[in-house]
Amino acid sequence: MALLCRVAENMFWLNRYVERAIAIIRVVDVTAHLELDSGDPDAQGVDFWIPLLGPSLETGPTNGSADAPAPLPHDVRYYLAFDPDNPSSLVSCVRHARSAAREVRDSISSEMWEQVNTSFLMLGEPDRVRDLEEDLHAFYRRVRDSLLLIQGLADATVAHDEAWQFLSLGKYLERADNVSRLLRQHCHLLTSGAVASSGDDTVRWLAVLRSAGSAEAYSRYYSLRVEPTRVLEFLLLNPLFPQSVRYSLGAAWEALKSISGATMAGSGPPVRSLGMLRARLEHTSVDEVVEFGLEEFLASVQDDIAHVSERLTRAFFRYAPQPGRDRSIARAAQIMAAQQQ
Amino acid sequence: MTTTASRPGVFAYEPGEFWDEMFVSAGEVRPYYASLAQALSTLSHAEVERRQRAADLSFQARGITFAVNQGPEGVEKIMPFDLVPRIITAEEWRKIERGLEQRVRALNLFLDDIYHDGAILRQNVVPPELVLGSRGYCREVRGIEVPLGVYTHIVGSDLVRDESGEFYVLEDNLRTPSGVSYVVENRRVLKRVWSHIFHGYDVRPVEGYAQDLLDVLRAVAPQEAEDEPNVVLLTPGVYNSAYFEHAFLAKGMGIQMVEGSDLFVDDGMVFMRTTRGPQRVHVIYRRVDDDFLDPLAFRNDSMLGIPGLLASYRMGRVTLANAPGAGVADDKAIYAYVPSFITYYLGEEPILPTIRTYLPSEPDELQFILEHIGELVVKSVNESGGYGMLVGPHSTRAEQDKFRELVRANPRGYIAQPTLALSRHPCWVDDHFEGRHVDLRPFVLFGREVKVTPGGLTRVAMRPGSLVVNSSQGGGGKDTWVLADAST
Repeated sequence: MALLCRVAENMFWLNRYVERAIAIIRVVDVTAHLELDSGDPDAQGVDFWIPLLGPSLETGPTNGSADAPAPLPHDVRYYLAFDPDNPSSLVSCVRHARSAAREVRDSISSEMWEQVNTSFLMLGEPDRVRDLEEDLHAFYRRVRDSLLLIQGLADATVAHDEAWQFLSLGKYLERADNVSRLLRQHCHLLTSGAVASSGDDTVRWLAVLRSAGSAEAYSRYYSLRVEPTRVLEFLLLNPLFPQSVRYSLGAAWEALKSISGATMAGSGPPVRSLGMLRARLEHTSVDEVVEFGLEEFLASVQDDIAHVSERLTRAFFRYAPQPGRDRSIARAAQIMAAQQQ
Repeated sequence: MTTTASRPGVFAYEPGEFWDEMFVSAGEVRPYYASLAQALSTLSHAEVERRQRAADLSFQARGITFAVNQGPEGVEKIMPFDLVPRIITAEEWRKIERGLEQRVRALNLFLDDIYHDGAILRQNVVPPELVLGSRGYCREVRGIEVPLGVYTHIVGSDLVRDESGEFYVLEDNLRTPSGVSYVVENRRVLKRVWSHIFHGYDVRPVEGYAQDLLDVLRAVAPQEAEDEPNVVLLTPGVYNSAYFEHAFLAKGMGIQMVEGSDLFVDDGMVFMRTTRGPQRVHVIYRRVDDDFLDPLAFRNDSMLGIPGLLASYRMGRVTLANAPGAGVADDKAIYAYVPSFITYYLGEEPILPTIRTYLPSEPDELQFILEHIGELVVKSVNESGGYGMLVGPHSTRAEQDKFRELVRANPRGYIAQPTLALSRHPCWVDDHFEGRHVDLRPFVLFGREVKVTPGGLTRVAMRPGSLVVNSSQGGGGKDTWVLADAST
């Protein structure tokens, strides 16, 4: 069956949001551990959390006010995970994922839809979530598993047709974006003087690995102690490990190739930009990256991912813009309510 | 407490002066309910609670919900589900089935007539001004030959029972009747949470609905589609209160669910926008009201519709189910004339009776309505879902005065009927049974033949004493068992 543009778009975003939600959980959970490892959670804990806010600091938990007291770790954690007003919090991502899944409810399996819905309901009671402070780790784990199950069911219960390729494309593009952002948040560790790792830095780099769910795989691959450049190499350039940026872009490329192999002529631009980005990651070494400037390199990777996403939208999802559509639909729905049979 | 505790809860039930679906009198169940009553009486309160919770969770987790306040901030609710099924015997069902088939055939002949030469209007069997002045009458579709002469491919008629146990047709829903997903889902959930109460009953399955519907939709495809018609379901989108049902049906039929913006008309043909370019659409099962179908023909502010759709429809290059303009026949004033349609077109006596209906457009009847408004149910002819109605005996003086004014000001806009003593069915409330008023909405499919799905949605007015069963007004549902011949 041919694929509706609207369905393709929702498939893509459904899995992007699920992937993003998983990434948020990993980072928040790992940072909580890092904070405990630092020994004095009250004094310095927040230092671990501030970088996670990234550009959202402006409108983050302090509301951008310079006079406001520095946020407590608890506030940052709430903002990242449970704040419904933060559009990229965990709960918001899961809500967006569910909205997308509702739109394509007839195109995904019931099992998959129910799992999305279950994950949403799990996060749906903010009071209960606050009670969980005590055992937050177990809760994060449950939610993470629930989200991973969505992806598992997507692979196991949905035919691997064109619609599924959009799910796959969304997942891997988002993962490449998340991992490169994670590295960017920590690249000051690498560039601030000595590359040799002190004890503290080792803990931090281990945390970076954990945040990408990659600590064990790293140890197995290198079987040596955590070295910043090796971590970078592993997460950025490893060809086999599914959390690495290179691997993710390769998988996204495969998905896009099989989509555009069968579709319209307009699919050229996204294929070209993703192809170039992927080639760049494939043919570079970690030394070249450091020489080029890590921060700049990662920034350009993220920019390129954003371009790919934009071009996908123009090539596959929207031939023509439809401004104000949501509002009109909501209004019409109200009028129709009175006529519901 | 001690007296009731010593007796099984199921028998400590007071049927009251209504027709009770389960009990003949206090302590005595109808024969076909005996096995069910037996199963119920052995259950502890805790066990019923547990199953009720399991059922609620199942609806919640599977997202079987309807939206209460439409729009982006709308709240999704599950329809309250009562565990005790409603049973209809094979004999009762045969009459319902025959009665509905007769009614649906007559209604389609009526529609075909009034959109062509209008013989019934010229012979004054029904006042022409009533038909032509109805809000549901659609001049834009006059003279169109619809495939197989079918206008109402899907009908959901509401039936009620009075004190004597007789089934009456309360109204017909001929535009976009909803609720069939609950017929199927209530059964699935009940099987899941309480499989052993099915023991001893031969209940006719309802699973086949979606496939039957697909057969109907394929049968009415335009000729040029040949054997490969592309059938789609048009939904108003996620904000619509019946969105779950749209997805449910699209999935059950394996067809694409589309929104208005997914479709466009080019060169008289309808296409959907796909990642592989435009793809032709032949049949649209539309769950969007007439007014919103085509902004060029109807409401020009509709963003749900497809510009040019009606032109394509007039050319016979796309089939719409149900046909635009079918709504004229479920106008509540025209309802009063359906028995005469049956006689006029089929030469038969109506099998299912209708409710005596007073039309304020007739001076005598207006007078009667104004004098007896406290005993009558007054309804707006164009609204449904339990909106715009007055239940006389349950109303205040002020509400009655307001409706007198409304009726006087717009006699064509209202009808009145006697307040029915709707039948009741025991429902589980806290730790015991209480009687609640119920109705029945069977679903009728009409393509090459008429097919009534053996089951239906039993809607329950959950508030004690209430006669309003609509889900938008807090009504709930029950699984509805139609027994196969052998088990009665």
